[in-house]
Amino acid sequence: MKKSSNKRLAMLFDLRKCIGCMSCVIACKSENDVPLGVWRSWVKKIEKGRFPDTREYFLPIVCNNCENPICVTVCPVNAGIKRPDGIVYIDPHRCIGCRYCMASCPYGVRYIHPEKKIAEKCFWCHHRVDAGLKPACVLACPTGAILFGDRNDPESEISKAIATNAVQVIKPEMGTSPQTFYIDLDIDTVEAKKEKKE
Amino acid sequence: MESQVLYNTFQQEAFGIFIAIYFYLTGLSAGSFILSTLAYGFGMEKFKPIGRIGVVLATVLLVIAPLFLLFHIGMPLRAWHLFTYLNLSSPITWGSFLLILYPINCLIYAYFMFTEKNKLTKIFAFIGLPLAILVHGYTGFILAFGKARALWNTALMPILFLASAIVSGIALMILVYSIKERFFSKSKSINRDLVFSMGKLLAWAIVFDLFLVGCDLIVLSISHADAQAVAHLILFGKFSFLFLLVENFLGKIVPLFLLLIPRFRTLTTVIIASILVIIGIFFMRYVVVLGGEFIPLI
Repeated sequence: MKKSSNKRLAMLFDLRKCIGCMSCVIACKSENDVPLGVWRSWVKKIEKGRFPDTREYFLPIVCNNCENPICVTVCPVNAGIKRPDGIVYIDPHRCIGCRYCMASCPYGVRYIHPEKKIAEKCFWCHHRVDAGLKPACVLACPTGAILFGDRNDPESEISKAIATNAVQVIKPEMGTSPQTFYIDLDIDTVEAKKEKKE
Repeated sequence: MESQVLYNTFQQEAFGIFIAIYFYLTGLSAGSFILSTLAYGFGMEKFKPIGRIGVVLATVLLVIAPLFLLFHIGMPLRAWHLFTYLNLSSPITWGSFLLILYPINCLIYAYFMFTEKNKLTKIFAFIGLPLAILVHGYTGFILAFGKARALWNTALMPILFLASAIVSGIALMILVYSIKERFFSKSKSINRDLVFSMGKLLAWAIVFDLFLVGCDLIVLSISHADAQAVAHLILFGKFSFLFLLVENFLGKIVPLFLLLIPRFRTLTTVIIASILVIIGIFFMRYVVVLGGEFIPLI
């Protein structure tokens, strides 16, 4: 937080409230017209422990819209752009589909659109944000587990939630300073890996 | 903790086989160019016969290599964006200029070499040398900037790529020189001393390359969790066959013995060694590019 007077959008997932219903995924798919086989957001689910001491854990994943985005650093044509309010988006007219952003992103949130052949990802529904609305996933969440707002405004719901809860981000060691925060983030859920499909 | 993934998505492959081929071809090109400057830049007279082969190979391979980039990118008709929307922090932007400057320099260098203007040849050899190093070195930076992939994200990557470029360049040169002399020259005989001294160069380049690969592996296997996972992948996992057997045993250790032990040293063994090296380095590119992104990120 260098310039505290500026607007800095952020997202917060309260995993204590997440029930793994995937409403956010469906809302995202229909809002952004995301093709089959690729995802801008998804919920990773794992099961821990042995019966009867077992529980399912959910990890909703969206783009972290990092403060220091490596995808913007490496984009050879400046198609990756970080807006002053912190949203990182891709200029669809400029992207050449070289996939370098996909190779460098530590979170694997990018994909190549199967027909447009350009890189796409979650950008917190910036078209809705510009119109004064919340992102589609935030509205779709039935338990209100997702908060979205200006982190630099001390009166906003999200900055109060970040201030009064223990929050964590995914892979803080990457130095990208992610702006998607999690309450009750479970390390096993982040690190559990499924074998790649052949 | 005992845990099982119930649901997760699969990420698309970022860099595929085309990028591996591209790295391989620029490596061969840079290696050939560096070898051709031994005679025309540094004045080592005994390497003079390979100077011309070197510059022709360097130019031809570097004209073919960027075609694989065009196959790789989704929007090849937008490739001109690389020259109009510059991002100086991106290695691909550095590369798009190097890929223009280096072949132009190769052509000028070749022109002066074939018209036997020795002084000008020497000047363009020394302009071309850093360009050749950069045109392959930058590809190492491309991978090193992939900060979440432990196999790529090492400062050793550019120098590792350069070492393997020189190894593969020398091997290609031995092969092409032998074929040319045997079948397309007037005398139909190969200059054995030249082939053996190139073989000796090749052997020392392989030693250096093996040293770098060893350094990389040792650090990977005790570094952070992702690095250990990828070290396990290339030593015992899916890529171990290609990495250990094809790349390092057949592609480096066997050629090293063929080249260094005097009893084995004949024209045939030097040529066999260079064929093995050329194949081995291809699988080095393959393992680095595809092995590096094999483990899912999240």
